[in-house]
Amino acid sequence: MAEHTLVGHRVPRIDSLDKATGQARYTADLTLPRMLYGKVLRSPYAHARILNIDASRAERLRGVKAVVTGRDTAGVRWGVFPYTRDQQLLTGDKVRYIGEDVAAVAAEDEEIAVEALELIEVDYEVLPAVFGPLEAMQEGAPQIHDHAENNINIHVPIEVGDVEKGFKKSYHVREDRFVDSEYTYCQTEPYAVLVNCDLSGNLEIWTPNASPHTKAKALSNLLEMPLTKVKVRRICTGGAFGGRSDIFPGEFIAALMALKAARPVKLVYTREESFTSVRQAHSMIVDLKTGVRRDGTFLANEIKVIMDGGAYSSTGPIATSVPFLVWEETYRLPNVRFNGYRVYTNKPVRGMYRCHGRAFLGGLGMQLDMIAEELGIDPVEMRLRNALRTGDTQATGSKITSCGLSEALQQAAEKSGWKEKRGKLPFGKGIGMGANGMMVGFPMGIRGGSSAMMKFNEDGGATLISGVVDTGSGNDSMIVQIAADVLGLKMEDVNLVSADSEITPLDQGAYSQAAAFVSANAAMAAAIDAREQILNIASDMLDATVEELDLRDGFVYKKERPERNIWMGKAIRKALMDDTPIMGRGSYMPKIDQTREWVSNPKGQQAGTFSFGAVVAEVEVDAETGQVRVSNVTGAHDCGFAINPMAVEGQLEGSVASGGVGATLLEEHYWDGGQMLNASMLEYKVPLSVDMPHITPIIVESMDPEGPFGAKEAGLWGSMNMFQAIGNAIYDAVGVWIKDFPITPDKVLAALEERNKD
Amino acid sequence: MEKRLIQLSVNGDEYDVVITPNQTLLEVLRENLELTGAKEGCGEGACGTCTVLLDGKPVRSCLTLAVEAQAKQIETVEGLASDGELHPVQKAFIEHGAIQCGFCSPAMILTTKAFLEENPKPSEGEVRRAISGVVCRCTGYAKIVAAMMATAGEL
Repeated sequence: MAEHTLVGHRVPRIDSLDKATGQARYTADLTLPRMLYGKVLRSPYAHARILNIDASRAERLRGVKAVVTGRDTAGVRWGVFPYTRDQQLLTGDKVRYIGEDVAAVAAEDEEIAVEALELIEVDYEVLPAVFGPLEAMQEGAPQIHDHAENNINIHVPIEVGDVEKGFKKSYHVREDRFVDSEYTYCQTEPYAVLVNCDLSGNLEIWTPNASPHTKAKALSNLLEMPLTKVKVRRICTGGAFGGRSDIFPGEFIAALMALKAARPVKLVYTREESFTSVRQAHSMIVDLKTGVRRDGTFLANEIKVIMDGGAYSSTGPIATSVPFLVWEETYRLPNVRFNGYRVYTNKPVRGMYRCHGRAFLGGLGMQLDMIAEELGIDPVEMRLRNALRTGDTQATGSKITSCGLSEALQQAAEKSGWKEKRGKLPFGKGIGMGANGMMVGFPMGIRGGSSAMMKFNEDGGATLISGVVDTGSGNDSMIVQIAADVLGLKMEDVNLVSADSEITPLDQGAYSQAAAFVSANAAMAAAIDAREQILNIASDMLDATVEELDLRDGFVYKKERPERNIWMGKAIRKALMDDTPIMGRGSYMPKIDQTREWVSNPKGQQAGTFSFGAVVAEVEVDAETGQVRVSNVTGAHDCGFAINPMAVEGQLEGSVASGGVGATLLEEHYWDGGQMLNASMLEYKVPLSVDMPHITPIIVESMDPEGPFGAKEAGLWGSMNMFQAIGNAIYDAVGVWIKDFPITPDKVLAALEERNKD
Repeated sequence: MEKRLIQLSVNGDEYDVVITPNQTLLEVLRENLELTGAKEGCGEGACGTCTVLLDGKPVRSCLTLAVEAQAKQIETVEGLASDGELHPVQKAFIEHGAIQCGFCSPAMILTTKAFLEENPKPSEGEVRRAISGVVCRCTGYAKIVAAMMATAGEL
């Protein structure tokens, strides 16, 4: 192929025109003829048995067209894994958190639906409840699920090497505990779903999602309907960050009501419901014991984490494992023991989050700095000495095929002025580093790969059909950019059909950071397949071999004699006449160990490849008020290859908000038992434009041998290492370690006071 | 509640709308007029995604009653492009990669337009303050600020 006209260039995203003009449609924007409005009755109790539900008065209210309770369901339990099926999406017997779905109404308008909810009578037998993981694990604590003794939902044990021997041989050993509290995705778009039901019982579903195919399959299981009748349609999604991946009660309940009423039903959650009744992020208690040699290299690591999972499993096995995996994907760990526990409590359900594990990864990265200081080693140097490199094998067995971690560490240090600043800034100002590796995809069975197709119009234009889904980070535009580049077309000449479970082929979805590596590889293969077919046809027409030809600006031409060319539309028409229409076909399944399993077999190749990054944060700490302000962030990320550098940079900038200023300094929930006290955007503080630092993105390109054009991922650039960078910078600024996230002014002041006492 | 007929002027067009007096401007725009560019992110005036312009000034349409908007010029994102030509702020947002999920974009773009018309030569700090009432969870605001700075002086 000739030099790239599109990939590697800063190009405007294809979805941005619709979004800038108000034409982009999100779920709540849709209306259908004779559409009904849904509302959900939610549990006011954290733990209670449902003795009886009397909905007869609600059913008789004028304008009410369907009322559903647990009795209307097939009683199938949802779980991401066969061994985590613990949630009946419309509960029948018991409620396990405040805000759980108990019954729902579909009515001619929202006011009638709200009125009808008040007419539903539920008899509860209130049960003792438990709100913290340590209490929930104690003997005699209320048992939330019959199958889970001591409320332990998931236990992931991993042991590699000889940990005891490693500690014995260590020059220096350190133990620390880090903790954090619950927080939330808080995507700007609240949860919403619209379900259309036709007279043949076909369901069409629109809902913000990170995988239409996963939603469709789960709903077909839960509704006991064939997959051909459950069709999840493409729709814009107003942010995901991990929080749109799972299956939620809303889509199941809306489908039940649409089937019952034989009319479309729209269910739009309030912001409060989006906080309490979809998904939140875990809180955790993390115990770290680390042993190092004199030179700072790791000899033994022991990590125990207890996560508060809330009432149900959700993506529990993944959430329990990921922070540990991120750590082993960063550094060489010869002897390591991990015990991860996810515990049930009577709180809302926790899922995977882009900034998951702030106490875990923040803790590990801050403890690394503590050890570095105790040994007199520069924190950058300590990271470099431990960093994984190309050709290394991670603790649980994944090979690293491309690794720009050392380069990212060095560049972030250099461009931030690390040497001139670290330890040399005046009191109140500080600089700190964080680093991490990141899996690009993980084992998901038949759903772990992606496939794509390309078809062509007689006027030379093309349509790319892919299961890829774009939750806002630019996946749609990315694969069009690639296909257009391969075919020598403009991006506007390639239409995209994506994210429709009926029309588009299977894809793993926009999680596990796999879209650039897996979905784009499949789209690229489809484009290359089509290109070869076009060149074959054209080689007859131009009397040349395929190797002598290339595609550019909609023409096939001879590389040596560009004036010898034909319009691509001509080749497409000839193919139609010859009864060999050009249809590109491509697929990609990452080379991973499919026998690897989160709990039962956490070893073997986990992902097709891994990305790596380092960030440096500069902070200003006001010792009078405890206020921390992040003033500068320099982030270097090995994304493999930047298909669209502008979109890649946008991922770091977003992460500095969500993982940095948000998760590290601001975001947390307050509780009275199981009642969330700040389920509102007035009370739940997220970063605003004025809170944000100046950001310098640095793209490192390690050119992965398997990635499309060498690309890996950029979505998690910074989101999981900002915690450590800011925590370390605060220490550099005022000399205190805050081991409790988020690092709010009260904690900074308390730590300063404590230190001043000593 | 008793229904009432009111007149609204939206993007230069006059509309007769039958509403109940408790309907917000956001509800009337989205439900009665099918202009869904303004979004409901929180419904309590905190997130700013419902921002529209009322006589050129940004307002939270979720906190504004439709009856209050009578006899005023209402501008929504749908009215920004004219004769098939994008508004310079829309162009800048697209070219600078300032749009990710897009849910806050209509509010950001309208807020920018109103601000830059009043302040042709703002500092970066002023630009940041101008959009501090609209929440974005995707971009970290960096490319939005860049798009705003690039458009300054053009309006």
